[in-house]
Amino acid sequence: MLARMAHSVHVPSPLRSYTGGASRVSAEGASLRALLADLDARHRGLRFRMIDEQDRIRRHIRIFVNAREAQSIDEALQAADEVHLVCALSGG
Amino acid sequence: MGANDDAVRYSRHLLLPEIGTAGQARLAAARVLIVGAGGLGSPAALYLAAAGVGRLGLIDGDRVDLSNLQRQVLYSTPLIGTAKVTAARERLLALNPGIEVIAHESELRAANAREVLADYDIVIDGSDRLGTRYLVNDACVLLGKSLISAAIHRFEGQAMSYVPGRGPCYRCLFSDSSEGLVPNCAEAGVLGVLPGVMGCLQATEAIKLITGVGEPLLGRLLTYDALDLRFREFRFARRVDCAVCGERPSITTLADAPAACTPADLPGLRIYSPAELRARLSDRQTGAPLLVDVREAHEFAAGHLADSLHLPLAELEFRHSELPADREVVFICRSGARSLRACQIAAGQGLTRLGNLAGGLAAWAESLTQTS
Repeated sequence: MLARMAHSVHVPSPLRSYTGGASRVSAEGASLRALLADLDARHRGLRFRMIDEQDRIRRHIRIFVNAREAQSIDEALQAADEVHLVCALSGG
Repeated sequence: MGANDDAVRYSRHLLLPEIGTAGQARLAAARVLIVGAGGLGSPAALYLAAAGVGRLGLIDGDRVDLSNLQRQVLYSTPLIGTAKVTAARERLLALNPGIEVIAHESELRAANAREVLADYDIVIDGSDRLGTRYLVNDACVLLGKSLISAAIHRFEGQAMSYVPGRGPCYRCLFSDSSEGLVPNCAEAGVLGVLPGVMGCLQATEAIKLITGVGEPLLGRLLTYDALDLRFREFRFARRVDCAVCGERPSITTLADAPAACTPADLPGLRIYSPAELRARLSDRQTGAPLLVDVREAHEFAAGHLADSLHLPLAELEFRHSELPADREVVFICRSGARSLRACQIAAGQGLTRLGNLAGGLAAWAESLTQTS
Protein backbone atom coordinates (compact mmCIF):
# COMPACT_ATOMS: atom_id res chain seq x y z
CA MET A 1 0.00 0.00 0.00
CA LEU A 2 1.28 3.42 -0.96
CA ALA A 3 2.18 5.76 1.84
CA ARG A 4 0.12 8.93 1.88
CA MET A 5 2.03 11.80 0.34
CA ALA A 6 1.38 15.04 2.22
CA HIS A 7 2.66 18.32 0.86
CA SER A 8 2.98 21.79 2.21
CA VAL A 9 1.08 24.22 -0.03
CA HIS A 10 1.80 27.96 0.07
CA VAL A 11 -1.31 30.01 -0.62
CA PRO A 12 -1.05 33.53 -2.12
CA SER A 13 -2.73 36.40 -0.35
CA PRO A 14 -5.68 36.83 -2.78
CA LEU A 15 -6.71 33.17 -2.29
CA ARG A 16 -6.43 33.00 1.50
CA SER A 17 -10.12 33.71 1.91
CA TYR A 18 -10.54 30.02 0.94
CA THR A 19 -8.13 28.78 3.61
CA GLY A 20 -9.43 30.75 6.56
CA GLY A 21 -6.53 33.18 6.17
CA ALA A 22 -3.84 30.47 6.35
CA SER A 23 -0.75 31.15 4.24
CA ARG A 24 0.29 27.51 4.33
CA VAL A 25 -1.94 24.45 4.26
CA SER A 26 -1.42 20.73 3.86
CA ALA A 27 -2.76 18.56 1.04
CA GLU A 28 -2.10 15.07 -0.26
CA GLY A 29 -1.46 13.67 -3.71
CA ALA A 30 1.12 11.94 -5.87
CA SER A 31 0.46 14.41 -8.67
CA LEU A 32 -0.49 18.05 -8.91
CA ARG A 33 -3.92 16.99 -10.19
CA ALA A 34 -4.52 14.81 -7.12
CA LEU A 35 -3.19 17.47 -4.81
CA LEU A 36 -5.52 20.10 -6.30
CA ALA A 37 -8.49 17.76 -5.86
CA ASP A 38 -7.56 17.18 -2.23
CA LEU A 39 -7.00 20.90 -1.74
CA ASP A 40 -10.46 21.62 -3.14
CA ALA A 41 -12.04 19.01 -0.88
CA ARG A 42 -10.47 20.74 2.10
CA HIS A 43 -10.99 24.33 0.85
CA ARG A 44 -14.05 24.30 -1.40
CA GLY A 45 -13.75 26.61 -4.44
CA LEU A 46 -9.99 27.07 -4.34
CA ARG A 47 -9.29 24.94 -7.42
CA PHE A 48 -11.69 26.99 -9.55
CA ARG A 49 -9.66 30.09 -8.90
CA MET A 50 -6.51 28.48 -10.30
CA ILE A 51 -7.56 25.93 -12.91
CA ASP A 52 -9.97 26.47 -15.81
CA GLU A 53 -12.59 24.10 -17.25
CA GLN A 54 -10.00 22.60 -19.61
CA ASP A 55 -7.75 21.77 -16.64
CA ARG A 56 -5.29 24.46 -17.65
CA ILE A 57 -3.55 26.64 -15.08
CA ARG A 58 -5.22 30.04 -15.29
CA ARG A 59 -3.21 32.76 -16.94
CA HIS A 60 -2.85 34.94 -13.86
CA ILE A 61 -1.69 31.97 -11.76
CA ARG A 62 1.64 30.17 -11.66
CA ILE A 63 2.28 26.97 -9.75
CA PHE A 64 5.78 26.12 -8.60
CA VAL A 65 6.87 22.79 -7.18
CA ASN A 66 9.72 23.80 -4.90
CA ALA A 67 11.36 26.41 -7.17
CA ARG A 68 10.47 24.66 -10.45
CA GLU A 69 7.54 25.87 -12.48
CA ALA A 70 4.78 23.35 -13.22
CA GLN A 71 3.68 23.45 -16.85
CA SER A 72 0.55 21.36 -16.33
CA ILE A 73 -1.41 19.78 -13.53
CA ASP A 74 -0.32 16.30 -14.63
CA GLU A 75 3.12 16.69 -13.11
CA ALA A 76 4.08 14.08 -10.54
CA LEU A 77 4.95 15.08 -7.00
CA GLN A 78 7.66 13.56 -4.86
CA ALA A 79 7.56 13.17 -1.11
CA ALA A 80 8.41 16.42 0.68
CA ASP A 81 7.80 18.56 -2.40
CA GLU A 82 6.52 21.99 -1.48
CA VAL A 83 3.91 23.55 -3.72
CA HIS A 84 3.80 27.33 -4.16
CA LEU A 85 0.72 28.91 -5.66
CA VAL A 86 1.53 32.35 -7.10
CA CYS A 87 -1.11 34.84 -8.20
CA ALA A 88 -0.73 38.10 -10.13
CA LEU A 89 -1.19 41.07 -7.81
CA SER A 90 -2.49 44.41 -8.98
CA GLY A 91 -2.01 46.84 -6.09
CA GLY A 92 0.43 49.71 -6.14
CA MET B 1 24.63 73.55 -7.03
CA GLY B 2 28.32 73.12 -7.75
CA ALA B 3 30.49 70.12 -8.31
CA ASN B 4 31.81 70.45 -4.80
CA ASP B 5 28.34 70.18 -3.32
CA ASP B 6 27.69 67.08 -5.42
CA ALA B 7 30.89 65.54 -4.10
CA VAL B 8 29.50 65.96 -0.62
CA ARG B 9 25.87 65.05 -1.43
CA TYR B 10 26.86 61.79 -3.13
CA SER B 11 29.95 61.08 -1.02
CA ARG B 12 28.59 57.79 0.36
CA HIS B 13 28.00 56.56 -3.20
CA LEU B 14 31.40 57.82 -4.32
CA LEU B 15 33.00 55.78 -1.55
CA LEU B 16 31.55 52.59 -3.03
CA PRO B 17 33.97 51.28 -5.68
CA GLU B 18 30.99 49.64 -7.45
CA ILE B 19 29.47 53.09 -8.03
CA GLY B 20 32.17 55.75 -7.65
CA THR B 21 32.44 58.77 -9.94
CA ALA B 22 31.57 56.84 -13.09
CA GLY B 23 28.46 55.29 -11.56
CA GLN B 24 27.31 58.60 -10.14
CA ALA B 25 27.75 60.17 -13.60
CA ARG B 26 25.58 57.38 -15.04
CA LEU B 27 22.91 58.12 -12.43
CA ALA B 28 23.02 61.82 -13.37
CA ALA B 29 22.53 60.90 -17.04
CA ALA B 30 19.73 58.40 -16.31
CA ARG B 31 16.09 58.94 -17.28
CA VAL B 32 13.55 57.02 -15.19
CA LEU B 33 9.75 57.15 -15.45
CA ILE B 34 7.60 56.10 -12.50
CA VAL B 35 4.09 55.01 -13.46
CA GLY B 36 1.81 55.64 -10.49
CA ALA B 37 2.85 58.07 -7.74
CA GLY B 38 1.28 55.96 -5.00
CA GLY B 39 2.49 53.44 -2.44
CA LEU B 40 5.24 51.97 -4.61
CA GLY B 41 6.05 55.15 -6.52
CA SER B 42 6.57 57.20 -3.34
CA PRO B 43 9.61 55.42 -1.90
CA ALA B 44 11.00 54.64 -5.36
CA ALA B 45 10.85 58.33 -6.33
CA LEU B 46 12.33 59.54 -3.03
CA TYR B 47 15.32 57.20 -3.20
CA LEU B 48 15.98 57.77 -6.89
CA ALA B 49 15.84 61.55 -6.39
CA ALA B 50 18.18 61.21 -3.43
CA ALA B 51 20.50 59.02 -5.50
CA GLY B 52 20.79 61.75 -8.12
CA VAL B 53 18.90 60.23 -11.06
CA GLY B 54 19.12 63.09 -13.54
CA ARG B 55 15.63 62.98 -14.98
CA LEU B 56 12.78 61.56 -12.97
CA GLY B 57 9.29 61.48 -14.47
CA LEU B 58 6.07 60.70 -12.62
CA ILE B 59 2.80 59.94 -14.31
CA ASP B 60 -0.43 59.84 -12.30
CA GLY B 61 -3.80 61.53 -12.71
CA ASP B 62 -4.91 61.30 -9.06
CA ARG B 63 -5.06 63.86 -6.29
CA VAL B 64 -3.78 63.32 -2.76
CA ASP B 65 -6.46 61.75 -0.57
CA LEU B 66 -6.44 61.32 3.20
CA SER B 67 -6.56 57.53 2.77
CA ASN B 68 -3.27 57.67 0.80
CA LEU B 69 -1.21 58.99 3.70
CA GLN B 70 -1.00 55.65 5.53
CA ARG B 71 1.60 54.53 2.93
CA GLN B 72 2.26 57.18 0.25
CA VAL B 73 5.15 58.88 2.02
CA LEU B 74 5.71 61.51 -0.68
CA TYR B 75 2.74 63.47 0.65
CA SER B 76 1.72 65.23 3.82
CA THR B 77 -1.62 66.21 5.32
CA PRO B 78 -1.73 69.85 4.08
CA LEU B 79 -1.43 68.55 0.49
CA ILE B 80 -4.76 66.70 0.47
CA GLY B 81 -6.58 67.62 -2.72
CA THR B 82 -3.39 68.60 -4.61
CA ALA B 83 -2.47 66.79 -7.83
CA LYS B 84 -0.11 63.99 -6.77
CA VAL B 85 2.52 64.64 -9.43
CA THR B 86 2.64 68.36 -8.60
CA ALA B 87 3.02 67.66 -4.87
CA ALA B 88 5.60 64.96 -5.61
CA ARG B 89 7.64 67.23 -7.86
CA GLU B 90 7.93 69.88 -5.14
CA ARG B 91 8.92 67.31 -2.53
CA LEU B 92 11.53 65.67 -4.76
CA LEU B 93 13.08 68.98 -5.84
CA ALA B 94 13.27 70.06 -2.20
CA LEU B 95 15.14 66.83 -1.52
CA ASN B 96 17.47 67.26 -4.51
CA PRO B 97 17.37 70.52 -6.50
CA GLY B 98 20.09 69.23 -8.81
CA ILE B 99 17.80 66.86 -10.73
CA GLU B 100 14.99 67.37 -13.23
CA VAL B 101 11.54 66.17 -12.16
CA ILE B 102 8.81 65.99 -14.80
CA ALA B 103 5.18 65.80 -13.68
CA HIS B 104 2.80 64.09 -16.14
CA GLU B 105 -0.64 64.76 -14.69
CA SER B 106 -2.64 62.07 -16.47
CA GLU B 107 -3.22 58.35 -16.52
CA LEU B 108 -0.98 56.28 -18.77
CA ARG B 109 -3.04 55.26 -21.80
CA ALA B 110 -2.36 53.61 -25.11
CA ALA B 111 -2.82 57.02 -26.74
CA ASN B 112 -0.08 58.76 -24.71
CA ALA B 113 2.25 55.89 -23.73
CA ARG B 114 4.55 56.14 -26.74
CA GLU B 115 5.00 59.89 -26.31
CA VAL B 116 5.48 59.76 -22.53
CA LEU B 117 7.92 56.82 -22.54
CA ALA B 118 10.00 58.31 -25.37
CA ASP B 119 11.97 60.52 -22.95
CA TYR B 120 12.94 57.72 -20.56
CA ASP B 121 15.12 54.58 -20.57
CA ILE B 122 13.80 52.77 -17.50
CA VAL B 123 10.17 52.46 -16.39
CA ILE B 124 9.13 51.64 -12.82
CA ASP B 125 5.63 50.21 -12.65
CA GLY B 126 3.86 51.22 -9.47
CA SER B 127 0.37 51.32 -10.94
CA ASP B 128 -2.65 49.89 -9.18
CA ARG B 129 -4.58 48.44 -12.11
CA LEU B 130 -3.83 45.26 -14.01
CA GLY B 131 -4.80 46.93 -17.28
CA THR B 132 -2.09 49.55 -16.74
CA ARG B 133 0.43 46.85 -15.82
CA TYR B 134 -0.09 45.11 -19.16
CA LEU B 135 0.01 48.44 -21.02
CA VAL B 136 3.30 49.39 -19.32
CA ASN B 137 4.79 45.98 -20.08
CA ASP B 138 3.71 46.02 -23.72
CA ALA B 139 4.98 49.59 -24.19
CA CYS B 140 8.36 48.66 -22.69
CA VAL B 141 8.69 45.61 -24.94
CA LEU B 142 7.59 47.44 -28.10
CA LEU B 143 9.69 50.56 -27.39
CA GLY B 144 12.74 48.73 -26.04
CA LYS B 145 12.66 50.14 -22.50
CA SER B 146 13.68 48.38 -19.30
CA LEU B 147 10.87 47.69 -16.83
CA ILE B 148 10.98 47.23 -13.09
CA SER B 149 7.62 45.92 -11.94
CA ALA B 150 6.23 45.43 -8.45
CA ALA B 151 2.76 44.83 -7.04
CA ILE B 152 1.23 44.46 -3.62
CA HIS B 153 -1.79 42.93 -1.89
CA ARG B 154 -2.54 43.00 1.85
CA PHE B 155 0.73 41.65 3.36
CA GLU B 156 2.30 40.27 0.17
CA GLY B 157 4.44 41.81 -2.57
CA GLN B 158 6.07 40.63 -5.77
CA ALA B 159 8.69 42.11 -8.08
CA MET B 160 10.44 41.33 -11.37
CA SER B 161 12.57 43.19 -13.90
CA TYR B 162 12.62 43.10 -17.68
CA VAL B 163 15.47 44.25 -19.91
CA PRO B 164 14.94 44.04 -23.69
CA GLY B 165 16.67 41.02 -25.16
CA ARG B 166 17.84 39.73 -21.78
CA GLY B 167 14.89 37.79 -20.38
CA PRO B 168 11.16 37.24 -20.05
CA CYS B 169 8.60 40.05 -19.77
CA TYR B 170 5.63 40.44 -17.42
CA ARG B 171 3.33 38.73 -19.93
CA CYS B 172 5.68 35.72 -19.97
CA LEU B 173 4.96 35.46 -16.24
CA PHE B 174 1.23 36.21 -16.17
CA SER B 175 0.00 36.05 -19.74
CA ASP B 176 -3.38 37.59 -19.05
CA SER B 177 -5.76 38.49 -16.32
CA SER B 178 -8.81 40.54 -15.63
CA GLU B 179 -9.58 43.01 -12.88
CA GLY B 180 -12.35 40.90 -11.37
CA LEU B 181 -9.98 38.03 -10.62
CA VAL B 182 -7.39 40.09 -8.78
CA PRO B 183 -8.57 42.47 -6.07
CA ASN B 184 -6.74 45.78 -5.62
CA CYS B 185 -5.67 47.62 -2.46
CA ALA B 186 -8.86 49.67 -2.24
CA GLU B 187 -10.86 46.44 -2.11
CA ALA B 188 -8.52 44.29 -0.04
CA GLY B 189 -6.49 46.65 2.13
CA VAL B 190 -2.71 46.80 2.39
CA LEU B 191 -0.15 47.03 5.18
CA GLY B 192 1.16 50.60 4.84
CA VAL B 193 4.85 49.72 5.06
CA LEU B 194 4.57 46.91 2.45
CA PRO B 195 4.85 49.20 -0.62
CA GLY B 196 7.75 50.86 1.19
CA VAL B 197 9.69 47.58 1.04
CA MET B 198 8.70 46.80 -2.54
CA GLY B 199 9.20 50.36 -3.85
CA CYS B 200 12.68 50.42 -2.31
CA LEU B 201 13.45 47.16 -4.11
CA GLN B 202 12.37 48.82 -7.36
CA ALA B 203 14.68 51.78 -6.67
CA THR B 204 17.50 49.34 -5.91
CA GLU B 205 16.95 47.57 -9.22
CA ALA B 206 16.90 50.88 -11.11
CA ILE B 207 20.20 51.98 -9.58
CA LYS B 208 21.74 48.58 -10.42
CA LEU B 209 20.53 48.70 -14.02
CA ILE B 210 21.80 52.27 -14.44
CA THR B 211 25.22 51.66 -12.93
CA GLY B 212 25.58 48.12 -14.27
CA VAL B 213 26.40 46.56 -10.91
CA GLY B 214 25.01 43.38 -9.41
CA GLU B 215 22.57 40.83 -10.70
CA PRO B 216 19.20 42.22 -11.82
CA LEU B 217 15.92 40.43 -11.15
CA LEU B 218 15.65 39.03 -14.70
CA GLY B 219 13.70 35.81 -15.17
CA ARG B 220 13.15 35.72 -11.43
CA LEU B 221 9.97 36.55 -9.57
CA LEU B 222 10.69 37.76 -6.06
CA THR B 223 7.86 37.39 -3.58
CA TYR B 224 7.74 38.92 -0.13
CA ASP B 225 5.44 37.84 2.67
CA ALA B 226 5.49 40.46 5.42
CA LEU B 227 3.65 38.21 7.91
CA ASP B 228 6.25 35.44 7.64
CA LEU B 229 8.98 38.00 6.90
CA ARG B 230 10.15 35.78 4.11
CA PHE B 231 11.41 36.43 0.60
CA ARG B 232 11.14 33.70 -2.03
CA GLU B 233 12.42 33.52 -5.57
CA PHE B 234 10.89 31.65 -8.50
CA ARG B 235 12.59 31.33 -11.85
CA PHE B 236 10.55 31.68 -15.02
CA ALA B 237 11.56 31.63 -18.66
CA ARG B 238 10.68 33.67 -21.71
CA ARG B 239 7.72 32.13 -23.52
CA VAL B 240 8.22 31.65 -27.23
CA ASP B 241 4.44 32.04 -27.55
CA CYS B 242 4.33 35.27 -25.48
CA ALA B 243 1.80 37.61 -27.07
CA VAL B 244 4.17 40.57 -27.01
CA CYS B 245 7.81 39.39 -26.76
CA GLY B 246 7.38 35.93 -28.31
CA GLU B 247 8.40 34.63 -31.73
CA ARG B 248 5.10 35.55 -33.41
CA PRO B 249 3.65 38.36 -31.31
CA SER B 250 -0.05 39.16 -31.63
CA ILE B 251 0.40 42.46 -29.79
CA THR B 252 2.23 44.85 -32.11
CA THR B 253 0.51 48.10 -31.19
CA LEU B 254 -0.54 49.48 -27.84
CA ALA B 255 -4.13 49.13 -26.68
CA ASP B 256 -5.97 50.02 -23.50
CA ALA B 257 -7.54 47.26 -21.46
CA PRO B 258 -11.23 46.92 -22.26
CA ALA B 259 -13.05 49.77 -20.58
CA ALA B 260 -14.96 49.03 -17.44
CA CYS B 261 -18.57 48.21 -18.09
CA THR B 262 -21.10 51.04 -17.75
CA PRO B 263 -24.82 50.66 -17.05
CA ALA B 264 -25.49 51.92 -20.59
CA ASP B 265 -23.86 48.75 -21.95
CA LEU B 266 -26.62 46.64 -20.42
CA PRO B 267 -30.06 47.61 -21.67
CA GLY B 268 -32.77 46.53 -19.28
CA LEU B 269 -30.46 46.58 -16.27
CA ARG B 270 -32.19 48.09 -13.27
CA ILE B 271 -30.01 50.42 -11.20
CA TYR B 272 -31.12 50.68 -7.58
CA SER B 273 -30.29 53.45 -5.16
CA PRO B 274 -30.13 52.14 -1.57
CA ALA B 275 -33.58 53.64 -0.86
CA GLU B 276 -35.06 52.06 -4.01
CA LEU B 277 -33.64 48.67 -3.13
CA ARG B 278 -34.98 48.88 0.42
CA ALA B 279 -38.43 49.71 -0.98
CA ARG B 280 -38.18 46.85 -3.47
CA LEU B 281 -37.21 44.36 -0.76
CA SER B 282 -40.14 45.34 1.41
CA ASP B 283 -42.67 45.19 -1.44
CA ARG B 284 -44.45 41.89 -0.78
CA GLN B 285 -46.64 42.19 -3.89
CA THR B 286 -43.99 41.60 -6.52
CA GLY B 287 -41.76 39.04 -4.81
CA ALA B 288 -38.33 39.98 -3.51
CA PRO B 289 -35.33 39.77 -5.82
CA LEU B 290 -32.42 37.46 -5.01
CA LEU B 291 -29.55 39.48 -3.57
CA VAL B 292 -26.16 38.19 -4.69
CA ASP B 293 -23.10 39.53 -2.89
CA VAL B 294 -20.04 39.22 -5.16
CA ARG B 295 -17.37 40.33 -2.68
CA GLU B 296 -14.55 38.11 -1.42
CA ALA B 297 -15.24 35.71 1.46
CA HIS B 298 -13.47 37.80 4.10
CA GLU B 299 -15.47 40.88 3.07
CA PHE B 300 -18.72 38.91 3.20
CA ALA B 301 -17.81 37.47 6.59
CA ALA B 302 -17.25 40.97 7.96
CA GLY B 303 -20.88 41.85 7.28
CA HIS B 304 -23.59 41.41 4.65
CA LEU B 305 -27.24 42.02 3.96
CA ALA B 306 -29.72 39.48 5.33
CA ASP B 307 -30.71 36.69 2.93
CA SER B 308 -28.01 37.54 0.41
CA LEU B 309 -26.33 34.73 -1.49
CA HIS B 310 -22.52 34.85 -1.45
CA LEU B 311 -20.94 34.24 -4.86
CA PRO B 312 -17.51 35.90 -5.34
CA LEU B 313 -17.11 37.67 -8.68
CA ALA B 314 -14.16 35.47 -9.61
CA GLU B 315 -16.37 32.37 -9.33
CA LEU B 316 -19.39 33.79 -11.14
CA GLU B 317 -18.33 32.66 -14.61
CA PHE B 318 -18.36 29.05 -13.42
CA ARG B 319 -21.29 29.20 -11.02
CA HIS B 320 -23.80 31.30 -12.98
CA SER B 321 -26.06 28.25 -13.25
CA GLU B 322 -26.83 28.71 -9.54
CA LEU B 323 -28.68 31.92 -10.40
CA PRO B 324 -32.43 31.69 -11.06
CA ALA B 325 -33.63 32.67 -14.55
CA ASP B 326 -37.20 33.29 -13.35
CA ARG B 327 -36.40 35.74 -10.56
CA GLU B 328 -34.78 39.14 -10.53
CA VAL B 329 -31.15 39.03 -9.37
CA VAL B 330 -29.61 42.12 -7.77
CA PHE B 331 -25.83 42.12 -7.45
CA ILE B 332 -24.12 43.82 -4.53
CA CYS B 333 -20.48 44.62 -3.74
CA ARG B 334 -18.52 47.19 -1.76
CA SER B 335 -18.80 50.16 -4.10
CA GLY B 336 -20.83 49.03 -7.12
CA ALA B 337 -18.02 48.30 -9.59
CA ARG B 338 -17.64 44.55 -9.14
CA SER B 339 -21.42 44.11 -9.01
CA LEU B 340 -21.73 45.92 -12.34
CA ARG B 341 -19.17 43.53 -13.82
CA ALA B 342 -21.25 40.69 -12.36
CA CYS B 343 -24.32 42.06 -14.19
CA GLN B 344 -22.28 42.02 -17.39
CA ILE B 345 -21.22 38.39 -16.86
CA ALA B 346 -24.78 37.30 -15.96
CA ALA B 347 -26.20 39.12 -19.00
CA GLY B 348 -23.63 37.31 -21.14
CA GLN B 349 -25.03 34.04 -19.78
CA GLY B 350 -28.54 34.94 -20.89
CA LEU B 351 -30.00 36.25 -17.62
CA THR B 352 -32.34 39.16 -18.30
CA ARG B 353 -33.81 40.26 -14.97
CA LEU B 354 -30.78 41.94 -13.47
CA GLY B 355 -30.23 44.75 -11.00
CA ASN B 356 -27.26 46.53 -9.48
CA LEU B 357 -26.99 48.38 -6.17
CA ALA B 358 -25.38 51.69 -7.20
CA GLY B 359 -22.60 52.70 -4.84
CA GLY B 360 -22.65 49.26 -3.25
CA LEU B 361 -22.76 48.55 0.45
CA ALA B 362 -20.79 51.73 1.13
CA ALA B 363 -23.72 53.79 -0.21
CA TRP B 364 -26.19 51.50 1.59
CA ALA B 365 -24.43 52.11 4.94
CA GLU B 366 -24.24 55.85 4.29
CA SER B 367 -27.95 56.02 3.47
CA LEU B 368 -28.74 54.31 6.77
CA THR B 369 -26.64 56.90 8.61
CA GLN B 370 -28.47 59.70 6.86
CA THR B 371 -31.93 58.36 7.61
CA SER B 372 -31.26 57.44 11.23
